[in-house]
Amino acid sequence: MASTPRPLASADVEARLRARFGDDVVDFQDQFGHAVATVTPERYREVATFLRDEPEFACDYCDFVGGVDFEDEGLEVVTHLFSTTHHHNVRLKVHLPRERPACPTLSDVFAGADWHERETAEMFGVEFEGHPQPVKLLLSEPFEGHPLRKDFPLMSREAKPWPGAAEGEEGEEEE
Amino acid sequence: MGLIEKTPLPSIQPVKFLLNWGRRYSLWVINFGLACCAIEFIAVSTSKHDFIRLGVIPAAHGPRQADLLVVAGTLTDKMAPALKRVYDQMPDPKYVISFGSCSNCGGPYWDSYSVTKGVDQIVPVDVYVPGCPPRPEALLHGVVRLQEKIAQEDIREKWSGKHTAPAGLR
Repeated sequence: MASTPRPLASADVEARLRARFGDDVVDFQDQFGHAVATVTPERYREVATFLRDEPEFACDYCDFVGGVDFEDEGLEVVTHLFSTTHHHNVRLKVHLPRERPACPTLSDVFAGADWHERETAEMFGVEFEGHPQPVKLLLSEPFEGHPLRKDFPLMSREAKPWPGAAEGEEGEEEE
Repeated sequence: MGLIEKTPLPSIQPVKFLLNWGRRYSLWVINFGLACCAIEFIAVSTSKHDFIRLGVIPAAHGPRQADLLVVAGTLTDKMAPALKRVYDQMPDPKYVISFGSCSNCGGPYWDSYSVTKGVDQIVPVDVYVPGCPPRPEALLHGVVRLQEKIAQEDIREKWSGKHTAPAGLR
């Protein structure tokens, strides 16, 4: 691996990913200097392995794996990769249908993804296919539901509504 | 069951006073620190506020040597069995101070999916200290209140073990 940092600009990351994976790179964005690629679940593992092994990328550090709930538009798994050699960031996103959100595991590509995926699984109800230990990480075992999903009911709020104003709605309080 | 339960001595006022005086000023404490409130607890134990001058001794080797449990911080449902276990290990007579909004009622996490809304669901609480986090002086005040409570106590009643269930289960 190269020892001098040669960070890739987002446009270069996009060009290389598109050249290699074609239409499986569904979307690409530059977010504050970070390359953000949305890929298909089928080639998600392949893209991550490519980013890890290709000397030009050398994304050897999986920073985090998390989830996003887009309600009717499904769920998303977000994986943040970083290169300790080149000091650049690449984020991978995978869109999943709400009916059966199944995503391949990265835990054999990056050992550190293991616990992140367990947390994402329990919080968002995403199934990580091939995960070596698909049990809850933080929640207690009898816990039911996926608390970070937007339709998860908060029982305290069912009994007593949120007393404050939501962010950005302060002006509408005056009624 | 010891001598104290078998004799009427503790009911005699001078004996009762002496016993309670000894107990109130030697409270070996366990800091069940769960969040930022634990830092305030530590501040109370250090030289500026120094609760040792009130007889609170912050060096209990473990729950089995402690008289006072201070729950300082956010108790989650997953942590709750551990708190119960620590409390059960403590010998009678034992006291609990709930320190801070989280342990009183859930505090800012009142609508959380994982936080226990009040440690009094798990253990019986003697003194509640409000605040988020409370100032160190608030804990000193809570300790003084607890000592006043101990001074009024009938030791045989306290030692009977009747008061070790959480308020909701009594």
